[in-house]
Amino acid sequence: MRRPVQTLLLALTGAGLLHAALFTDLYLRYVKAGLRPPLIASGAVLLLLALAQAAVRHRLSGDPGHEHGHDHTGTPRVAWLLFLPALSLLLYAPPALGAYTAARASSKPVAAQKKGFAPLPAASPLPLTLTDFTRRVQQDRSRAVGSRTVRLTGFVTPAGEDGGWYLTRIIFTCCAADSQTVKVRMYGTEAPPADTWLAVTGTWHPHGTLGTGTAQAALDVREATPVAQPVNAYTDDLPLTPS
Amino acid sequence: MNKADEPVGVAAVPLGRAVRRVRPRTLGAALALTAATAAATAVLLPAAAPWLHHPAVQAWRTVCLAITVQALPFLLLGTALSGAINAFVPADLFTRVLPERAVLAVPVAGVAGAVLPGCECASVPVAGSLIRRGVTPAAAFAFLLSAPAINPVVLTATAVAFPGDPAMVVARLLASLATAAVMGWLWLWLGKEEWLRPLLRPGHTGHRHGHSRWTEFRLGFQHDFLHAGGFLVLGAMAAATFNVTVPRSVLDAFTGSAWLSVLFLAALAVLLAVCSEADAFVAASLTGFSPTARLAFLVVGPMVDLKLIALQAGTFGRAFAWRFSAATTVVAIAASVLTGGALL
Repeated sequence: MRRPVQTLLLALTGAGLLHAALFTDLYLRYVKAGLRPPLIASGAVLLLLALAQAAVRHRLSGDPGHEHGHDHTGTPRVAWLLFLPALSLLLYAPPALGAYTAARASSKPVAAQKKGFAPLPAASPLPLTLTDFTRRVQQDRSRAVGSRTVRLTGFVTPAGEDGGWYLTRIIFTCCAADSQTVKVRMYGTEAPPADTWLAVTGTWHPHGTLGTGTAQAALDVREATPVAQPVNAYTDDLPLTPS
Repeated sequence: MNKADEPVGVAAVPLGRAVRRVRPRTLGAALALTAATAAATAVLLPAAAPWLHHPAVQAWRTVCLAITVQALPFLLLGTALSGAINAFVPADLFTRVLPERAVLAVPVAGVAGAVLPGCECASVPVAGSLIRRGVTPAAAFAFLLSAPAINPVVLTATAVAFPGDPAMVVARLLASLATAAVMGWLWLWLGKEEWLRPLLRPGHTGHRHGHSRWTEFRLGFQHDFLHAGGFLVLGAMAAATFNVTVPRSVLDAFTGSAWLSVLFLAALAVLLAVCSEADAFVAASLTGFSPTARLAFLVVGPMVDLKLIALQAGTFGRAFAWRFSAATTVVAIAASVLTGGALL
């Protein structure tokens, strides 16, 4: 790889990282929010490297012996592959994981609640995360959730058979490669288009014994309103609306 | 860089020189053209090729980019450290600090891995530069294997992922250290320097005359980053391919047999290439598998996976990478089974 190309590659990679992490929220599609400072720092370092490389070349361009100075290392051709993520970030960033991935994953097992359940807040409809809803349905012996109207937020994943669908969240702990899916089955309405973000209001769909492992995490939908994709789409938290 | 306006054709010999001098410029132009074409393709292709919009292709690109973006800061940290070791650290520092006998240096280097916070991408270039600085390869490999598994960040993540189960953290620490040490000793016993040929090529060691140390640092840093970065993308592509083509629900078929599940989760760790800071959470989600199988996932993952094999092939050479990865997998599985049997 020639040195001007190396400079270009460093600059593009740095610009790509800054574009994704500093100027836009693109990085949230791929990694956790906590990685933002290291990503910005990396982008800046790469741009500085490119600048230094360009400046040194410029300063020494009158020196005919210089060309033979550093090429001994000969960056291998594999470095060309780095153009792909750099250009991807800058020009054509792939979308966040969605229904395709969720449909092919089994639902993340919900950890057992050891401490017992606090009483549910009085709000109605009661906003719950998909995980909390599942846990209440399958573990809460008081069966408090059975008589409540709840509101869940997630995107639509078609169930495949019989036109049914799930409300889903994809969560990851580090990056999209370790994604896990939380699903709640929806009953009572036609499946909206895949990947639509919805706030769904409804009551537990009786199936199995409430408060035990046989209960299905499912909802009889009373109302489903399209919502904008939350900023924190990759956690299973109550939605933060985009500002 | 080239003097195009230099008078040419004054004599037969300068003509030859002039031709040689013009060539890099043509090459540079050709490369710039290629880059421009690539950029144009990246913009136009999505419109032209509908398959690029297929959800599977999109998911593949997302996972591939996610692995790359996640790893880049750590790779940058690792290559910066490796560049700094090359340029600023006196050659005899490591030989003075480490025990003289290689057999003793191996476990010391393994424990020293605890000081490099971050995930596995950082440790490969650092281990490479340690070897170039005269550290015995066996000790550098022990460091390479233990650093991503036993540093405080990763152990804390493990404790968070397995709440109320401190035995898992202890087992991970012990099994990883044991594997690192055994692999170091194994290298002393069976390893051949010739497998490391790409690393030991002359002209790539330490400070040379004629450059300032800063230039040396910058060039080493840049070279190592571009080099390892290319291999990182290659490994990310392989891991993304597995990640997208094999649905996670296939896993449930293997939970039954104790032995099969250990081997299966070890293989999964290699194929998934999850960063060592995150793998504990993935392991925690693999309920249905025995604790020993999950321990194997945690021990093998930071030491061997697709992107690491690609990175090692780039840094140490292919002859080394496949032998080392295969041996490490076997040793890591054995260490996990023994530790798991005793502690979990």
